[in-house]
Amino acid sequence: MRRARRGDRDAAADLFRRYWRDAWRAAFAITGRRALADDVAADGFERAFAALDRFDERRPFGPWLHRIVANRALDILRMERRLSAEELPDTPDVAPVRAADDRSLLTVVADLPLERRVAVVLRYGVGMTPKQIAETLDVPVGTVNSRLARALEQLRESLEVEHVE
Amino acid sequence: MSSELERRLEGLLAELPEPEPEVGERAFAASVAALRPVSPAHRGFRSAVIAVAAMLVLLAIAAGSLAAGGVLRLSFGKATPLPPPSELSLPRGADGIAAIVYGRLSVTTKSGFDLQGLPVTAAALSPHALYVAAGVGNSLVAVAPDGRRAWSHPTDGSIAAIAWAPDGLRIAYVVRSDRRRRAWNLVLHVIWGNGKHDTVIDHNARGATPSWRADSLAFAYVGAGGRPIVYDLAHESRRVISMASARHATRLAYAPSGTELAVQTETLVSVVGRPQTVVWRSVPGTQPLWIGWLGSHLLVDTRSGMFTPKSRARLYSVDPAGVKLVRSVLLPGPLLWVYGQIAAVGSHDGVLAGRLERLRSVLRIRPQPCNPEGCEIAIGKGDVQIR
Repeated sequence: MRRARRGDRDAAADLFRRYWRDAWRAAFAITGRRALADDVAADGFERAFAALDRFDERRPFGPWLHRIVANRALDILRMERRLSAEELPDTPDVAPVRAADDRSLLTVVADLPLERRVAVVLRYGVGMTPKQIAETLDVPVGTVNSRLARALEQLRESLEVEHVE
Repeated sequence: MSSELERRLEGLLAELPEPEPEVGERAFAASVAALRPVSPAHRGFRSAVIAVAAMLVLLAIAAGSLAAGGVLRLSFGKATPLPPPSELSLPRGADGIAAIVYGRLSVTTKSGFDLQGLPVTAAALSPHALYVAAGVGNSLVAVAPDGRRAWSHPTDGSIAAIAWAPDGLRIAYVVRSDRRRRAWNLVLHVIWGNGKHDTVIDHNARGATPSWRADSLAFAYVGAGGRPIVYDLAHESRRVISMASARHATRLAYAPSGTELAVQTETLVSVVGRPQTVVWRSVPGTQPLWIGWLGSHLLVDTRSGMFTPKSRARLYSVDPAGVKLVRSVLLPGPLLWVYGQIAAVGSHDGVLAGRLERLRSVLRIRPQPCNPEGCEIAIGKGDVQIR
């Protein structure tokens, strides 16, 4: 980290290689679209590297990066929704996954409202604690817990409906 | 149920797809360009660094003397394998090749272009390789074959994509503009080939490389919401391609003659005719990797399996009678570029090019480690004939 902060290209490459895949997957899980995930993750890294001089070295890099990526994804999705609400549904593409059950689970995750989807991705995909998510999204921990609880409830209901059908 | 559901969620998200390597390399180049080196804060530390540096210089001089005398062999560590080039360009009549590896551009043509290791965020050769346009820092720069900077145009941020018109008179390029002023900001510009008359076309574009129509009077790009948009230069008008199958486009490719536009999304490929009609649509779920035109035929590259680097290229004839599958070829790696009858394919240690059935190595990656000066690649001259 220290070398990367001083502009060492190799150290920056190491940092990039270590975190790029997770950052991209988090962006994909939030946006649901590969092209958008490409833009969001790249933009997140560029911003993180541009701000490395202000980064507190004693803190872990991963959560800080994910915070930037998650906020970029939210900004873009909100802006896109404002720009083209009349013609674009807020329904992400569904990624190809292995088992039939998982495909339906991914579909219902994709159907979650944006804020709940982000909370689920950060909690279960990135592995953040509710406190870290609260810091990332700049909302109270109670709000995060509430979003997670409602998301799980909605997921459970959707999956039950699918099983009945 | 919740704990079971939570367990499934953790497993599910771990199964999400991987980013494409070329996306990572482009992002890496842009990120490194954004680094602002921090100088050590304390004078004492700085003095120590200077002292150590002076010692190293003395050691280097001593080692150099020993090496010159054949006593000492210098090594910069174990070689690390490099990834294949993430971007490749083989334009009309260039008789050469341009590739970006880990953010470093290398260009070699038979007419004498020999540029190695320029740090760039994007690049494109002009027709006949008279110039290369590249994103260097926060500028669009045109470099002549002798390495001279022909012109430079300052931009609002790093450049994400560049496309030179087939007649060489204009360049469409996408800039990641300064985020402190705008919330979302991939801005599409068009500039004349001499670096003058820069015009903003769209403040809300996507990072996909624009594709020029054969007559150079229009180009297609990906706009807000991933919708393909055709911009007509003569009328300064834009036409949104609104078919559902073309939404969330990731790559666009105009046919080298005529007006058919191939649109790639994450799950299918469509060919759009004029007026807005879908001429053809691939089977959904194909997962296309790359599209391009091999002469008058549409080439669609798809994954051949989850655990193999090989890809499956399908060649289609496109004419008013319809679109027909002509040939299906298993390739040793993903397609990177096609021009005329030449296809370029990425492989583990370089690039293969030639006709689909007769690919041979044209770009070799030397087994040199990446060092602070960048990664070294070598282009095998004389192996590729493109006219």
